[in-house]
Amino acid sequence: MKIDYSLVTRRTFLNALFGGWLVAFCGGSLYALLKFAFPTLGKEPDFVVLNVKDFIDISPNSVKPFAWGGKLGLFFKKEDGSTHALKGVCTHMECNVTYKPDEKKFYCPCHKGWFDENGKNIEGPPPKPLEFFEIQTEGEKLIIAKKGIKVELPKA
Amino acid sequence: MSYQRLKDWFEERYDIEPLRVFAKHKLVPRHKYEILYYTGGIAMFLFIIQFITGIVLAFYYVPHHEFAYKSIIEIVTKLNMGWFFRSLHHWGAQLAILALFIHAFSTLLLKSYRKPRELLWLTGIVLLGISIFFGLSGYLMLWDERAFAAVRVATGGAGNLPLIGNFIKSFLRGGIDVTGETLIRFYAFHVSLLPLVTMILIGFHVFLVQYHGMSIPLSQEKKVHGYTPFFPNLLYKDLIIWLIVLGIMVTFATLLPPEIGKKADPLAPAPENIKPEWYFLFLFQTLKFFPGEIMGLNGETIAIILISCGIFFFFLIPFFDRKSSRGEKSVLFTWIGVLYTLYFIIMTIIGFLS
Amino acid sequence: MKRIILVLVSLLMNAGILLAQETKIDVFPAAPYDRFIIYQTLAIFWVGIIGLIIIIRMKLKEIERIQSLGIDKEDKDTPLLD
Repeated sequence: MKIDYSLVTRRTFLNALFGGWLVAFCGGSLYALLKFAFPTLGKEPDFVVLNVKDFIDISPNSVKPFAWGGKLGLFFKKEDGSTHALKGVCTHMECNVTYKPDEKKFYCPCHKGWFDENGKNIEGPPPKPLEFFEIQTEGEKLIIAKKGIKVELPKA
Repeated sequence: MSYQRLKDWFEERYDIEPLRVFAKHKLVPRHKYEILYYTGGIAMFLFIIQFITGIVLAFYYVPHHEFAYKSIIEIVTKLNMGWFFRSLHHWGAQLAILALFIHAFSTLLLKSYRKPRELLWLTGIVLLGISIFFGLSGYLMLWDERAFAAVRVATGGAGNLPLIGNFIKSFLRGGIDVTGETLIRFYAFHVSLLPLVTMILIGFHVFLVQYHGMSIPLSQEKKVHGYTPFFPNLLYKDLIIWLIVLGIMVTFATLLPPEIGKKADPLAPAPENIKPEWYFLFLFQTLKFFPGEIMGLNGETIAIILISCGIFFFFLIPFFDRKSSRGEKSVLFTWIGVLYTLYFIIMTIIGFLS
Repeated sequence: MKRIILVLVSLLMNAGILLAQETKIDVFPAAPYDRFIIYQTLAIFWVGIIGLIIIIRMKLKEIERIQSLGIDKEDKDTPLLD
């Protein structure tokens, strides 16, 4: 059916205008809703500040947990006395790992993943090594930061 | 075009021809009162908004008497747009109940409840009751002084019913008094029981409207100018009205965010000059008129019984109004409808002013 | 003397108002900058709504025009107009 006056173009034009406007309107409203529904809270921190006294005296070949944002961080003293800090979360499916002092390995019980004491994934499904942090001490403060992050403490 | 292929894929499997025929033949009569047809659509739109804002608020709300108040303050002060969505949920509720009252009273006055639409009336009134309960339970979530006192009064009022009163009261309160148990209970009502029942009832209600078609008021039956197809004309008109309602709601939510009172303390005296939400005012005001004792009986019990009778009569009005059901003019029930409407409006106004 | 009392009373009243305000919880962002953005967004929102309404009215007119021409009831076997 062909009509003399340009019915189709006007209709398509209106449809496009209506659809586009509607999408923009709903998109804007939805954006506000999503901003509320997914706040950026609970993001991983760049660094945490702890008390030196609580951590420095742990016995060699052991770990002590601390809160890395909402996740598990582990303060780790190797048998030779060197101290490290790492994220105690398996790189496979985000289960918390435990340290096995007898074998000097980190173990993830969820899918039987093993990491050696340097965090290297040596057995099982984990695809990447554990994430190690950098440690600084400033007087009483023990600062554990992501590698390559410049720590700027708020002046108290 | 892939849209066409998707359509073909679907239509090969499902026969939607009857639906299409139905959509084409859904007509809405044009007459003096046709604007009232939109009130139901407005109420449904507001319910959808309430569902959406309610779901996102539930992400953050903690239904525990020690943390509830704090979690709402956190929503309002710390989260992105939190103050806005709480306010929007509040104003959505107010407008939804207002729309429902207008919808119900216009149905009453135009006698659209008459045969064969009795079930529509019954489901509608139940939905109105549920919405009011939604309002009450939602209000307690805030767990501030006013909410606490309001729920104490409302559940206590239900407790004045003879025989079943105490059972209802302790069921609602989850104990003999309003405590943290009540909060959890009301939370469960507010987010699971009531939405579920509402969805089922709205589905049934809307289905019945499609089944019966739009009701034409008796006085207008001979004065219908014609019929407008629902798809697409009225759908677009509905959309316009929904947009206006959304705009009003957002404006209210932005300019008049609801206040948060002091945290509820069961041992503190009730705050002075406390008033319930506006849709309870007519009940509140009625209760005030009754003296404490009438001929040795508890005045409040008598008041509650009378109010219950009034509501019960209202609920069953399609079955009492025989004349309208036969398609005759029923002056008596017009007056009864006017009486109910005026009573509600006047009592609400008195409640506001006093 | 009267003046002193008046000043004292007004001071007390001001203090009272300040104290009363302290207990209030901010249900609306207080910073003027935030407020400005909020009002601006509200205005844009209304512009969006009004624009949509105008477009819908245009569409409605178009639909009614077609309906009054009586060409909206297409035959089954007309080719698709896209």
